[in-house]
Amino acid sequence: MAEEWKLHVAPGAANDPVFVGVGEIPTGKFPERGFIQALTKVALLALKDAGMVPRDIDTILLIPNLHGAADQADLVFSRMVEELGIHGTCKSSYMVHSGGSTSDNAVRSAHGLIATGHAQNVLVLQCERWGSADLNEMITMLSKNGIPGEWELPTGIQFNAIGAMITRRYMHASGSTAAEMASVCVTLRNWANLNENAMFYHKPLTVEQILASRMVADPLHSYECPPMADGACAFVMTSTENAKKRGISNAVRVAGSGGCVSHYCLSQEKDQAVLGWPLAAERAWNQSGWGPQDADIAEIYDSYAAVTTIGIEGIGIAEKGEGARWFAEGNGNPGGKLPMNTNGGLLSAGHTGVGGGTALLVEGIRQLLHRAPSKRQVEDCQRAIIGGSGGSYMDAQILLLERTKLGA
Amino acid sequence: MQTPVIVREFRAGLAAGDLLVQSCHDCGKPNMWPRYACPHCQSENLGWLKSAGTGTLHSFCVLRQGAPEGYEEDLPYAIGVVKLDEGVQLAVRLEPQSDGDWSAYQCDDRVEFVAVDAAQIEKRPCATFRRAVG
Repeated sequence: MAEEWKLHVAPGAANDPVFVGVGEIPTGKFPERGFIQALTKVALLALKDAGMVPRDIDTILLIPNLHGAADQADLVFSRMVEELGIHGTCKSSYMVHSGGSTSDNAVRSAHGLIATGHAQNVLVLQCERWGSADLNEMITMLSKNGIPGEWELPTGIQFNAIGAMITRRYMHASGSTAAEMASVCVTLRNWANLNENAMFYHKPLTVEQILASRMVADPLHSYECPPMADGACAFVMTSTENAKKRGISNAVRVAGSGGCVSHYCLSQEKDQAVLGWPLAAERAWNQSGWGPQDADIAEIYDSYAAVTTIGIEGIGIAEKGEGARWFAEGNGNPGGKLPMNTNGGLLSAGHTGVGGGTALLVEGIRQLLHRAPSKRQVEDCQRAIIGGSGGSYMDAQILLLERTKLGA
Repeated sequence: MQTPVIVREFRAGLAAGDLLVQSCHDCGKPNMWPRYACPHCQSENLGWLKSAGTGTLHSFCVLRQGAPEGYEEDLPYAIGVVKLDEGVQLAVRLEPQSDGDWSAYQCDDRVEFVAVDAAQIEKRPCATFRRAVG
């Protein structure tokens, strides 16, 4: 049983932080598109969406890239402040990093900065160039991320092996079939086919195609492994008071959050078919005052199908052991019971490293702002569950977001 | 950078044909992976016990492509997570069955530690397990 743990900010209060804008460019393989170029583009798109100009931003939070140390150093040492022309006025620019759950922690950081007055208008920026990077270099790099070099790397473990072990344990515990696991990927592809920014916008996918694709890491077929992609997105947060002053009438607030860091290396996880989701969910529901049955959409980290099925069970969207069958029944599809990963997720919009979770978050905000293209906008979308996980699924992070009407 | 002493001692155990589990001299609890202070009681008074080498297989996979740099020649290979009877867990390599594959393995199988020669431990300093007989 989780402890009582409330947010110290009242809904609609002057200091209640809100999301007011998002920006995104297409995900896929774009070798000609530069790192700083992409970051600048999404920054300007998000600012325009928020009705702001760069000068309005006092704080930049940076989501890291995993493709290269030089680009990372450019971010850390405030290059974007200069690129946006706010050097001399910007108060603070720094990086937040917890792998795939970074966006959840970046929101917590921005939320705290705004609620306490350390920041007024916060711009969060993300760009990754995995799609254009050398694949072998990235595989080797990823075998050193979230994997202890002295204890586990000697086994030859890497990210697909980790995803495969979680998948196998989940299938064993739930009795899910290979076809049921593949149906998760099909749901994601159905959404990607409605998202022009998705890597696989033009490519439909079936369970049969997935099961016929080659075995990469038993029980994972190649079409069940995440496609490495280039991508960038951004979002803007401010206080309710600032948003009202700017004449913004509808925004998105944080109803609650919950998290649990359950391990560092996968071998130390007590139950790979459960992970940290149940405690994270209990903490989140305690803060929000609403439950999984009240959500209109969910955007849950999906680097592998089992990562999402385990997540939705812990969150309470599906019964324990029924996550994969929940997808096979079509519940997460466009028009389904609870639209799930409505941008196509990491598996079909593209895995942009740390940015995969950011893209899901940005899609959740976009849906709640009612600014998704009409073909995939979920009607009257009021509440969203956002779920992230980093490293070797070391943590489960949940943000509960809700649309809010700001008084005139 | 020199390899930390707890890593050298663990690997020396493997090279001698033993699976060592860290043991706290103060609270008596086993720790895995080995730590620099006991996560149960924070004692730095730590030593080793020789594991019985038996446990259950929590999960495993067979990697067929995309090995990290330097591991390509090992493909295909199987990695598992074993819950030892001593109450701690670790990542291991799994020995193939007689036909060279791992299709007989299942989650929750009883498994046992296999001693491998010191030259192999020098190259791949990790424990190897196989399905327990009977």
